[in-house]
Amino acid sequence: MNEMAYSRVRNDRINLYKSKTFKNAIMWIVLGFFLFYTIAPLVWLVISSLKTNGELMGAPLALPKTLQFQNYKNAFEVSGLGRLFLNSIIVSITATILNVIVSSMASYAIARYDFKGKELIFTLISAGIMVPVSALMVPVFILIKNLGLYDTKLALILTYSAMGLPLSIFIIRGFMNTIPKELEEAGVLDGCNFYQKFYKIILPLSRAGIVTAITFQFLYCWNEFIYAMLLTSSQTNRTVQVGIRFFSNQFTTDYTSMFAAITISIIPAIAGYILFQRQIISGLTSGAVKG
Amino acid sequence: MEKLSIKSKIGIILFLLPIIILFTAFFLYPIGFLAVTSFTKWDGLSAPTFIGIKNYLTLFKDPVFRLSIKNNVGWLLAGGFIQVPLAIIVAILLARKPKGWEFLRTVYYFPNVISVVAISVMWMAIYNSGYGALNGFLKLIGLGNLQRNWLGDLHLTYPAVVLYGVFYIGYFMIIILAEISSIPQQYYEAASIDGASRFQQELYITLPLIKNSISICMIIAMVYGLRQFEQTYIMTNGGPANKTMVMVLYLFKKMYGFRYGLASTSGIILLILGVFVIVGVRKLFKVEKYQM
Repeated sequence: MNEMAYSRVRNDRINLYKSKTFKNAIMWIVLGFFLFYTIAPLVWLVISSLKTNGELMGAPLALPKTLQFQNYKNAFEVSGLGRLFLNSIIVSITATILNVIVSSMASYAIARYDFKGKELIFTLISAGIMVPVSALMVPVFILIKNLGLYDTKLALILTYSAMGLPLSIFIIRGFMNTIPKELEEAGVLDGCNFYQKFYKIILPLSRAGIVTAITFQFLYCWNEFIYAMLLTSSQTNRTVQVGIRFFSNQFTTDYTSMFAAITISIIPAIAGYILFQRQIISGLTSGAVKG
Repeated sequence: MEKLSIKSKIGIILFLLPIIILFTAFFLYPIGFLAVTSFTKWDGLSAPTFIGIKNYLTLFKDPVFRLSIKNNVGWLLAGGFIQVPLAIIVAILLARKPKGWEFLRTVYYFPNVISVVAISVMWMAIYNSGYGALNGFLKLIGLGNLQRNWLGDLHLTYPAVVLYGVFYIGYFMIIILAEISSIPQQYYEAASIDGASRFQQELYITLPLIKNSISICMIIAMVYGLRQFEQTYIMTNGGPANKTMVMVLYLFKKMYGFRYGLASTSGIILLILGVFVIVGVRKLFKVEKYQM
């Protein structure tokens, strides 16, 4: 036994010298490639946003001589970014709140009670995670038009809340399932009814799951494009994503200011991600995912 | 479970009502609506008229629609068979917890929190023939003769639009990495005592045990390939000469041309292809039951 262990150590040593550095080198080349591929385009975008258009045309990869912060001022003035941001914030926050309230309520009923049709409801809703919602453009457009909501923020709020439901239910219900029965029973002894049990016991205990759902829902609302374009037309209701699409018309040949505008539009998502990365990663790793 | 009181029953109904309304309005009703209107001729203004399967025949005869299905299938294969395998490789490497693995995991995920629109506009700039970073980069490393007009070339545009996203592996990598991390360490210790090399361990222990998350990732990647829209809409609008047309963009254009019947039909075909993908991947991996 001892001898075997020794020979293993010795073999490991030999292997180490023979190939470990080589294997490590390959590993770092692979990891480095993906790091470069992820970061370099973003870095290029930010650097270019600080150059003059002449510098960009002359040498796309060179650094600016002086940093052109003027571009960022232009970006706000030309694109009306302030308005776009405000609209996106209103829509995203309201749709996230509505989505999370509706899905917490439903998750509570589904996770903590047994009733007829429960399986059917849950199966249908979780199947919704895989529905390519862009296929539903025609009926959703008609629905919104018939409700008289075309070109309103409410149209986007309702659509986003509804389309994010399957994922939110999946995350929150999964979380509520893990709360031990005993905690709930203690509440019943204290005389809590259905509603008190929800907001006094289950809701506070599911906070982590709810924050994860909020993060995903907010990112979805902030980044959604198809329905924002389909359901709104006026500038008063346009969101950031639809705004970006018009940048190339607005800025015409002022590319570097356009890059500045895109950079600004990316910042909230990146900041939110860095703040909530633990929730995002835990949400992804619980298998609760949607592209 | 104890019998429910009347009060609880009312509570359950009240708590489920909002989701039932929203889910019906935005999922069930639209799917039913598509199924029905796919058999009609309809301009979105006057009443639809029933025309049987004529829309389906029209679509399958239309070379542009056929090309868009082909393009979507290419996209779906690139996602499932290039992007996901790359994500598996990176996840396996990061699972060994090399220095800085948490930082790398965070950074690889960046492109997934940025909107597809912003990423598309950014890549449009990168591909630009005048000031684009790609041509600049090629010149820098001495491959200046490879410079191209990436988004204006009949043969290059489709691969250019499809391929840049394939190397954004963060999303799938995180899902797979989590599953690898949950494999008990003893399995590897036992295997290495039996003399299995690191490579053999990954091949015979890791891969079979992460089958479930690989199949989930493949489904997501492939459904994404089917429903993708923003990239083509923004970067090429389907051009040049419809070479980059995809189904959702086709649907969108039919809708804007007031051919709602045809748009519905392409929507239904998209949904059916989605079901095929899910069933197909499950069969491929012989997955019986999903926890998702």
